[in-house]
Amino acid sequence: MSTRAERHPRRRSVVALLAVVAVLAAFVLRLVDIQVVNAGEHVGDAQSMGLAGQRVLYGNRGSIVDADGTVLASSTQLYDAQIDPLLATTMERKTADGTGKEIVPFADFAAQIAEVTGQDPQEIVDIVDGALAENPGSRFAYLKRGISTTDYLALVDLGLPFLTFKMQPSRVYPNGAVAGNLLGFTSSDGEPLAGYELLADDCLSASNGLETFQKGADGVQIPGTESVTPAEDGGTLQLTIDADLQWYMSELIAEETQRMKAKSGTITVLEIETGKIRAAAEYPALDPNDVQASDPADRGSRIFTTSFEPGSTGKALTAAMLLDAGVASPTSTVSAADHETFPNGASIGDPFDHPVYNYTLAGALIDSSNVALSKFGDLLTPEQRHDYLEKFGVGGGTEIDFQGEAEGQLHPASEWDNQTRYTTTFGQAYTMTVPQVMSAYAMIANGGVKVPLRLVESCTMPDGTVITPDLPEPQQVISEEAANETALMIENVAVQGSTAEMIKVPGYRVAAKTGTAQKPDDNGGYKAGVYFTSIVGFAPAEDPKYVVMVTLDEPTQVRSSAATAPALQKALTQVMKHFRVMPSTGQPHLFDKY
Amino acid sequence: MSFAESLALPEWDELPRREEPARRLRAVERPLPARRPRMTYAIVAVAGAVSIALAQMALSVLITQDSYHVAELQQEQRALTLEAQSLRDEVAGLSSPQYLAANAAALGMVIDASPTYLRLSDAAIIGSGDPAGGSSAVDARGPAQVSNALLDGTPLVTDPGSVVQGEPDRGDAPPAAETAPTEEATEPVVPAEPVAPPPLTEGLPSPTTR
Repeated sequence: MSTRAERHPRRRSVVALLAVVAVLAAFVLRLVDIQVVNAGEHVGDAQSMGLAGQRVLYGNRGSIVDADGTVLASSTQLYDAQIDPLLATTMERKTADGTGKEIVPFADFAAQIAEVTGQDPQEIVDIVDGALAENPGSRFAYLKRGISTTDYLALVDLGLPFLTFKMQPSRVYPNGAVAGNLLGFTSSDGEPLAGYELLADDCLSASNGLETFQKGADGVQIPGTESVTPAEDGGTLQLTIDADLQWYMSELIAEETQRMKAKSGTITVLEIETGKIRAAAEYPALDPNDVQASDPADRGSRIFTTSFEPGSTGKALTAAMLLDAGVASPTSTVSAADHETFPNGASIGDPFDHPVYNYTLAGALIDSSNVALSKFGDLLTPEQRHDYLEKFGVGGGTEIDFQGEAEGQLHPASEWDNQTRYTTTFGQAYTMTVPQVMSAYAMIANGGVKVPLRLVESCTMPDGTVITPDLPEPQQVISEEAANETALMIENVAVQGSTAEMIKVPGYRVAAKTGTAQKPDDNGGYKAGVYFTSIVGFAPAEDPKYVVMVTLDEPTQVRSSAATAPALQKALTQVMKHFRVMPSTGQPHLFDKY
Repeated sequence: MSFAESLALPEWDELPRREEPARRLRAVERPLPARRPRMTYAIVAVAGAVSIALAQMALSVLITQDSYHVAELQQEQRALTLEAQSLRDEVAGLSSPQYLAANAAALGMVIDASPTYLRLSDAAIIGSGDPAGGSSAVDARGPAQVSNALLDGTPLVTDPGSVVQGEPDRGDAPPAAETAPTEEATEPVVPAEPVAPPPLTEGLPSPTTR
């Protein structure tokens, strides 16, 4: 018995132990099944039952500021208001006597909403009816997209459960059309579409972050469950533009374009020493706050996208190369009639009648004689002149590389025919953009040193890194002496030329040259009677600081380049005043014309 | 002493072997004194466990409470951010040069043409020297030319009856009487004491700071 008694409890405990182990193993298996094998599914279930919460952390797209830090573009938020048509039309309320329930007519809600959004109540009813007509079970329709924060808060205050909102990062341009064409704009989804919004997107763009957490039934975050991927803000883009000056130029060109009944106009201001564009105004202009209000053709920057034959402004370039090559001086002379046929058959005429003059080079510029310039220009071979033009920046775009910027066109000298051999001496048969003409004049005003142009000052990343654009070194293009003499001749043009009285800036010595470009018509010829007129000037002439260029496309009040003179006078005056340039001293040396 | 050795104790060897296997018993030399249970340890252990549990509960309650507080503050912050945003939207555009210039023009200010400088060292007048004319170089209040959609319907501060562009926003525009400058503001500002011109006896005059 004792052996039995002894063996039995042992076997029992073994059996019990096995049972316990088996049960335990079953639990462990189930646990592994729940926690490991099907974990994803269960976590998903839990989260879908409302445990999971997440919030998008929006990174702010960077601002665009002007040279002084004035904000030209910054980020803001708009909201898309969405409506649940099914729920909106099945809302119940107690009947007036308090006994039963009735469905609220949607028009009641529509009236409340319309008061906030400024829509017509009928419009809102139509949105809901339209959505329901398309799909009787419709749960989604846009009520209004892009509503402001104020309206959003007012709508939330209405406490209507069928309204939902989606935040939409958006852009605001505090100065409106001031520099609007340069800034560009973004789509309603925040996608950059034009101007520096697009060009500097690498600098400006932000990345959104995400915060995930678990929350209780009351929506309160459960402590210790949050994990955050932080949002990254975009950098700040600083332009070289001066917003106040830009406004003045915008206002001025708007008035002048309308007064001269031109199609469009531009004024650009360039700081000679640094190559920085301080203002680039045009009309008609784009207000990026309301892109739809402007014609699609006005949404780029015509300062950069338009190339034209510079016309007489190109004569100064010819003079500069003659002086640099040492083949002429300001007082060298040629005899020129008002119309001449050259040995190779080319026929060149001046726009005004005059007897045969013994023009000096300075005089040829002052009177803007095509015939005299053709003769002077012939002192250099076409190849030499081509190479000079290329060095002056004709046909090579600029360092700014704006969106859609024209390159300008310069044909190889071998392709110049008998006529172009001479017309190239007075700015025809090659095309330039406004910045290119200004860059060439700035080079002349700057002692022959060509400073690369720039419109972007820098990009400051959120971590403080400052990125400045890579620019080539300034280059000595022509000798200092040649440049200074050419500048003096251009000043003589301003003092003795036909527009002298119109461009006088009291207190300052000014140098300027007008240009009238013929516009190609559709038939391979030139349009009759309408021109692309321009004037480029710099001041103070004894120590030039700023180059200003005004263009008017097809002015009809005054058709010649004189149309641009009043605008240049006002623009130069404002530039001198704005940058506190001290008035000039001394008088220019005046050259004889004949 | 190992167990094997203990089996080979001499006293037991001399006893005759029985059928039953020998019981491995031996006399206890002296009863061990009864060990008092170590109450202190038990109390410390239990108290420790309890206090840890309590502390954890307290912490957890505090954290939970804080998380409500945090949620509340976050809600408040969101509301304030939205309010700030809506206020920012409201004033966006008021800093623009268009608005400033139009306000200045409404006060009768003009943008004059050429500047004139007075050099203090020799009292020389540099520049044109012409007195300012009555007309402005550009008309900031002309038909809106440098547009700004943000200013649509915003009344001028200096002339509440008019706007820079668009139609006056009658809904938001306060009645003119309310924004009319108060009595004090319209009174000409008379300096308390006449400012004496700085003497020019010794070089350039410099501003004195007190």
